[in-house]
Amino acid sequence: MKASEGVFDESVVYVTEQGTQVRTDEGRIVVWDVDGDGGELATYPTEQLDTINVFGGVNFSTPFVAEANEYGIVLNYFTENGQYRGSFVPEKNTIAEVRRAQYALSEADELAIAKAMIRAKIRNSRTLLSRKGVHGTEVLKDLGVRAENATDEDSLRGTEGEAAERYFDRLDETLTDGWTFEQRTKRPPEDHVNSLLSLTYVMVKNEVLSALRQYNLDPFLGVLHADRHGRPSLALDLQEEFRPIFCDAFATRLINRGTITHDDFNADNRLSDDAFKTYLGKFDDYLQEEFTHPYFEYSVTRRKAIRQQAILLRKAITGELDEYHPLEMTR
Amino acid sequence: MTASSFKDELVHVSALNEYVYCPRRLYYQRYHDEIGTPYELVDGRSKHRGQAERGGWTTERYFRDDDLGLHGKIDLVESGDGTLTPVERKRAESGDYYPSDEVQLAGYCMLLECAIGESVNVGYIYLYSSDQRHAIHITDKHRRTVREIVRRISDMEVDNVPPLTDNPDKCEACSARTYCMPAETAILEPEKANETGWEGHG
Ligand code: SF4
Repeated sequence: MKASEGVFDESVVYVTEQGTQVRTDEGRIVVWDVDGDGGELATYPTEQLDTINVFGGVNFSTPFVAEANEYGIVLNYFTENGQYRGSFVPEKNTIAEVRRAQYALSEADELAIAKAMIRAKIRNSRTLLSRKGVHGTEVLKDLGVRAENATDEDSLRGTEGEAAERYFDRLDETLTDGWTFEQRTKRPPEDHVNSLLSLTYVMVKNEVLSALRQYNLDPFLGVLHADRHGRPSLALDLQEEFRPIFCDAFATRLINRGTITHDDFNADNRLSDDAFKTYLGKFDDYLQEEFTHPYFEYSVTRRKAIRQQAILLRKAITGELDEYHPLEMTR
Repeated sequence: MTASSFKDELVHVSALNEYVYCPRRLYYQRYHDEIGTPYELVDGRSKHRGQAERGGWTTERYFRDDDLGLHGKIDLVESGDGTLTPVERKRAESGDYYPSDEVQLAGYCMLLECAIGESVNVGYIYLYSSDQRHAIHITDKHRRTVREIVRRISDMEVDNVPPLTDNPDKCEACSARTYCMPAETAILEPEKANETGWEGHG
């Protein structure tokens, strides 16, 4: 079987060069060096793109924004070091029938989808540990079964929390000498590993967010994460299954291969500007790397796999498929 | 989920072609705005533009007819010896046109005859790939097919996703494939592929 067609992999663009403007020029999108004398830095066919992520001092020309609206291109704004600031979402990215189905999900439907996601997350945690030679993770296996049998959202959250704790306890063993991961901390990240993980979660969350938007699901209405003003709950839900295999795997790779060293961090544990640029480049490469899909058996990039999960989620929500099929990596 | 349909709405002539190709594809296009944009289409569009500017022809005339339940733009209407003949341009790579193109052309002929009050029994399909035009004689069978398909399209409902196509070869060339995921569906929920061309591909 061959991978389905699609242009996902060239469909997301990162613009990090400061002092540039994104404009439109005869059916193409051009990144222009306004402040410097670099001229045209990059150009893409408008038809091909669905997401542009800009970091810091990058601006869009007004005709370009009109074109983004027409072509359904989502624009995400970040600060120079990767903090999300907001998005421009084209009009067409709201298909009433899909939204209606999403808002009409029953509690039982939501729980079924959430269970599948958490079951996959726990399975993927075990898979990552075992790939790194960490054994003795039967407790995670049991917790996976418990997630599968959860009868309400609270017990599912409880199981998820316990599994995360067990998993992070062992993640340290996957890191090379000189790096330790004390405990998962969020705000603010207290050490370099946590900082790198947090950044990677944000980056992958944005990929998931773009994918959900591309397929017209409302990213702010979740199935498990509590809906809170300004929190993309559904993106956080869908991200769960990718956390171990895509996020944690990427962060540990950067550390273990020495791509990022302790010297790359500032006093507040954030990556320095240069290191952040390196990070973004590696991140984009990583998403474009292929792996063999566990059920479809073709080669697929990580970015495309994320998009496919958004499609599968949408099909489960609109009733085109009977259940949500998460991405579960067993090896 | 609420059911809605396209009753009371006119069917676009291009939808005839889409429906004959694969009803599911038309469903995605109409309810989910999801057909993808393959490069050949982009290419075809720019060719259209170029041709329309060349002049000398009546290009891109819009027609509608409430009784037929159809509307759409005809690419080009040629007038020779007092008769009007619709021309539909196709970018088919294979150098051939499909039955679905014939149905679409029949739809144009029927719209045109409603507009001018005279029968239009011939239309042309022009193929870019071979630079050939093919005269198509519009028969009663064509007309019946058009009416039947208009009816079926009007009866489509959001809660009824049409099944996968009975001919997987069509999926190879289908721009909705990434979204439709026929092979993946056959693997994940094989019963959804029952009695379609994807049965047993799981
Ligand atoms: S991929 Fe195949 S089944 Fe799906 S819409 Fe296209 S032709 Fe129809």
